[in-house]
Amino acid sequence: MNLGARRMTAVGSEDDAFEALFTAEYGRVVGIANRVLADPHEAEDVAQEVFIDFHRLHSATAEYAPAWLHRAAAHASLNRLRGARRRQKREAAQALEESDHTLDPQKQLEVSEDRRQVRQALGRLAPRPAAALAMRASGLSYAEVAQALGVGIGQVGTLLRRAEAALRKEVTRGTSN
Amino acid sequence: MVDDPDARSGADAAHLEGCTECQGRFEVVSDDARSIATLLAVPDTRVDVGRAFEHVMSERKSQPALGFRLPMLGPTNRPLKLAFVAAVAAAALVVVAFAAGGLFFQPTTVKTVPVTVADMQALSQLADYGTLTWTKEPQFQATTSAADASALAAGLQPPVVANLPDGVSTTVTYGAMSEAVATFTFSADKAAAAAARQGKTLPAMPEGMDGATLTVTVGPAVGEIYGNLNQNPSSASANSINLPQLIVAKSASPTAKSTQVTVQQLEAFILAQPGISKELKAAIGAIGDPSTTLLIPVPVEYATSKPVTVQGVDGVALGDNTGVGSGVVWVKGGNVYVVAGSIKQSDAIDIANNLK
Repeated sequence: MNLGARRMTAVGSEDDAFEALFTAEYGRVVGIANRVLADPHEAEDVAQEVFIDFHRLHSATAEYAPAWLHRAAAHASLNRLRGARRRQKREAAQALEESDHTLDPQKQLEVSEDRRQVRQALGRLAPRPAAALAMRASGLSYAEVAQALGVGIGQVGTLLRRAEAALRKEVTRGTSN
Repeated sequence: MVDDPDARSGADAAHLEGCTECQGRFEVVSDDARSIATLLAVPDTRVDVGRAFEHVMSERKSQPALGFRLPMLGPTNRPLKLAFVAAVAAAALVVVAFAAGGLFFQPTTVKTVPVTVADMQALSQLADYGTLTWTKEPQFQATTSAADASALAAGLQPPVVANLPDGVSTTVTYGAMSEAVATFTFSADKAAAAAARQGKTLPAMPEGMDGATLTVTVGPAVGEIYGNLNQNPSSASANSINLPQLIVAKSASPTAKSTQVTVQQLEAFILAQPGISKELKAAIGAIGDPSTTLLIPVPVEYATSKPVTVQGVDGVALGDNTGVGSGVVWVKGGNVYVVAGSIKQSDAIDIANNLK
């Protein structure tokens, strides 16, 4: 095989590996971002940026690929959540979208308010516990959360319990202000 | 253990079975976990993986794989890209030039000098007059967290932006560059060969310049890039720099030292290069203390600048309030700071003043 053909094969297999990784992980990456943002459209934006960043910097065959994607999805969406102006725009768009639904308006308002307070509280947590909660709530196993955060699996339970307590405290603080 | 059956080991499960105290605590923790799960619940999302993959593939085609793309310049502005590269070369050489004569260069302030495209081309030829060797090559890396970037940049902390202007994406990529050291060795033979290739006559090299060295240390540096780095810059006009929405960077001040030639000799040699404008000669001649001033070459055809006070020190603001592109540069506490992006100049100054 000449050099050109070998290069073509390498490029082809890298593309194949990236497609396989994308197919396997896209839904999960969107899921993590959506838990943080509560906005499926913005969650897809984040997920696509995360995949593009990954491709720019890493090989799709890297063993750490899923863990990297999960962590990046959590951090990127938490970064977005902390942007106050973006959050306001998103909530306005969300309220508009939900107004089409058949929920009773009072109930809609309550759901939207709860969601807003929980996300605000999540944005105030330290990055690691916030990421752990988002990943776990989106369905990642303890082992996957451990890999993404670079901690031992035995630490995940404690990390999550502390994160849950911290989030509850933040939600309560937010509602009592 | 509360919500992951895989986490229950046999011994723990057996203990829980027979311990009422632990069962009580387990219930409390389980309630907490359930209530948080409810609070974080969102409606199911359906994703079109195929369409998303096509979108990502079309976006990433303009990116080099496994590399760090220079986000400032898009493919549609080739003339400006060349000018920019020339400007960087000119800046490096002009800065380095003032380090000559055994002076130790360490800037504590910034000033602009106006350069034309012809100046930049003339100055960039200087790179052919010798050999550049890296004693320590710069390592660039993009990271997803400030802590990772800081670790790669010898503990230098990325600056924190207090308020983002309206419309700037909160998507952040952190970047780090390790310290780099380069030595440029002037060669009379190489200079003569370069001049011969271009059919030009060079001004005479000062005595002792052949073999003179300039050693420059840059970095470490850390920064944050806001915005989608992979956005297709198709909307950018050929006359505008396609900046990411916002770049904030902090670098240890560059330092330089030289051997064999004096400041005056080197300055005279550089300014005698064919093609250097009178304006640049006058501006460089007017610099007060060249060993403590970081010169920012401003391409006169493309950008304007004005002196500003940033965080209590002298700085330079580039660009204007159109939002096409602007930036602020200042030196404080041994570090060079840059805030730049496709934002208004007033926003860039505001970010700079509130940077922590």
